[in-house]
Amino acid sequence: MNSKRILSILAGAALLIFMAALNNTPAVAANHPGLKAATLVAEPAPEPLVCINCHRAPNINTNEGVIASRAFCYDCHRKPETKKRVGTNDISLQVTPAMFDKNQPRHRFIACINCHTDVARSPHKTKTGATCLECHNRHSEGTAHAPHLRVSCQACHFKSEFVRLDPKDHRVKLSHTNYDSVPISLSDHSPSDAADENTCKKCHFKKNPVGAPAAVLPSKSALCILCHNSPLAMGAPVFGLAGLIFLAGIFIMLSFWFKGSVKGEETSLHRKISLSSESIWNTVFSKQFFTLIKIFILDIVFQRRILKESVSRWSMHSLIFTAIMLRMGLALFTAIGFYFNPGSEWMTALVDKNYWFTALANDFLGLLILSGIIWAVVKRFIIKPDHVVTEYQDNIALVILGSLVGLGFVLEGARILVTGIPADIAAYSFAGYMVSKVFSFFPFDWASVYPLLWYAHGAVAAVFIAYLPFGKMRHIFNTPLTYFIEAVDGVKNEKRV
Amino acid sequence: MDTNSNPRKHYQRFHVLHRILHIIIIVNFTFLAITGFLLYFSGFGWAGFWVSVMGGAGILGRVHRFCAVFLYMGILTHVSWLFYYKIVLKQKLSGPDSILPGKKDIKDMYQNLRYVFNKGTPPLFDRYSYLQKVDYWAVMLGMQTMGITGLMMWFPEAFTGIFPGYFINIAAHFHFHEAVLAVMYIGLVHMSDTHLVPDIFPMEKTIFTGKIEKKRFMEDHPEEWKRQQMMKD
Repeated sequence: MNSKRILSILAGAALLIFMAALNNTPAVAANHPGLKAATLVAEPAPEPLVCINCHRAPNINTNEGVIASRAFCYDCHRKPETKKRVGTNDISLQVTPAMFDKNQPRHRFIACINCHTDVARSPHKTKTGATCLECHNRHSEGTAHAPHLRVSCQACHFKSEFVRLDPKDHRVKLSHTNYDSVPISLSDHSPSDAADENTCKKCHFKKNPVGAPAAVLPSKSALCILCHNSPLAMGAPVFGLAGLIFLAGIFIMLSFWFKGSVKGEETSLHRKISLSSESIWNTVFSKQFFTLIKIFILDIVFQRRILKESVSRWSMHSLIFTAIMLRMGLALFTAIGFYFNPGSEWMTALVDKNYWFTALANDFLGLLILSGIIWAVVKRFIIKPDHVVTEYQDNIALVILGSLVGLGFVLEGARILVTGIPADIAAYSFAGYMVSKVFSFFPFDWASVYPLLWYAHGAVAAVFIAYLPFGKMRHIFNTPLTYFIEAVDGVKNEKRV
Repeated sequence: MDTNSNPRKHYQRFHVLHRILHIIIIVNFTFLAITGFLLYFSGFGWAGFWVSVMGGAGILGRVHRFCAVFLYMGILTHVSWLFYYKIVLKQKLSGPDSILPGKKDIKDMYQNLRYVFNKGTPPLFDRYSYLQKVDYWAVMLGMQTMGITGLMMWFPEAFTGIFPGYFINIAAHFHFHEAVLAVMYIGLVHMSDTHLVPDIFPMEKTIFTGKIEKKRFMEDHPEEWKRQQMMKD
């Protein structure tokens, strides 16, 4: 039984070896110099054109597929005579493996057609160019903010210093000609150092052809989240300073709150903090939590107490407050959503200032803030009713907020004018578009004015943030807290703070 | 640290900070476990389904890393509290109140084992029983391994500059098995040790309210109770 089995296995193995020996594969041929010479000498008969020889789909998710696919492209492209005739110039389309691997070390094991997705066809040309976003995510707001959504990746990340504005889709791309309209070759695939500011300067210079501001501007700051989608970074140093002053102000405010006695404790700050945090904990995790929620919705979000005092005051205050809150909500939603899902089209649309919803919402809410401020100014300085007592702190707050929002619209108008966004897109930012139309009558070099306006808006924003815990605007922190404490401890009982 | 408005009924056991940190750990640990295991098992149909429900592997990975950073910030807050406790409040980190393991814990463990087999009396615990200490150190040390191996997988370029490439694979294995260990430990030991004890069932509330009843204080932490009474007298 056993010997029979062993015999049959041996016989099978022998048969296999015999058949394998009969099968003269190329691998076998390559290992036999004599055979190889024989096959090389004989001129092979011209192979019939088989579709699958070119129109095949190697699995480019495997190394074998990548190498096979690249070998197919290099077949022509490695030769120096691979050229394209544009007008009277010959442009080299030569890509050698050595050159590509040196310039794109991270893409060494990526097939050409992984990025040049639409070239493997007849006629052999591309409509989309190389696609990066199939694998890579977009930058967050910090590196490349909204206007850069209209800039193709290659424009920054490739070394060629000539860029153009494609009139068809209004996107900034690498140019196939230099600025003297002489065609140039882009086939070297050599990347630029995108962290270097000089790379930015290939668009950001005076009289540039793509509608970029004439100077390289810093990114927005985390402080800008009050109204704009912003990165989790400080941006320019002025924002860092403003943030520090803001934190110092909050600290002064808190230490002022803890100056008094807390539940009889007079001296130890540690005991004061632990007692007050204990009572906050006990309030939040009790039925009083629902009272707090009610107060938050009615008195803070809907401003019930101001409404009880006067409808006109409420309308004025709500125009400013609610609009800022809504802008902040939208900005936070965009920032968080984009952080967690940068590949999403929705989030990209929300980041894009020119997208119809974002443009409409931000312009509309900005106008609401502005109208609230104008209303307040009119009331304080023109109508002057008896019950309105204007203090200088109110005026400071109004001036800061008013110039912030006003400069915002000026900046938006300048942006639309400089970037030259077509009317059918820009019309959704209706206020900014009108401003841009007005600006277009003035023959300034707006690309050079834009950075100045940006810094002005940024400086006012920094002053606004730094001023929050000091002057009139301190009521943003104080008033809700007072409401909560009143609700918890009974009216006008200020024992806890 | 001990008395409240009604000293006869309840005693303060945990500060607000520690309750907040515990809640941070609960929330982030849960999210980390869910997202991590879904990502690890994403080859299976059921996990693939839940990954797609939650928005895809990319989002899940981002949530995972976000929660990891959030959780580790909790750990750092706790460590800075320890410095504050030692330097500003000038309290002792060692001693009977400490969470550091000591000789008494081994004795307690042995005595408890004897008690389980009906020999002798149950051990008299101090502020933290040996199981509570294991709970603490399992998290405290586990988070370090999870943190280091997680960072290695997050920034492989940086770490392969120091270590050979297979360290990333090793890190992945450590990360997964430590995760299994942590979830098993929390799910089986920590949950049953705290909530399923007959006296306490259905729920141990001390870590959420910060207060412990006098009766439970005397039963569960008799040594600490004795010391507090002696301090008062």
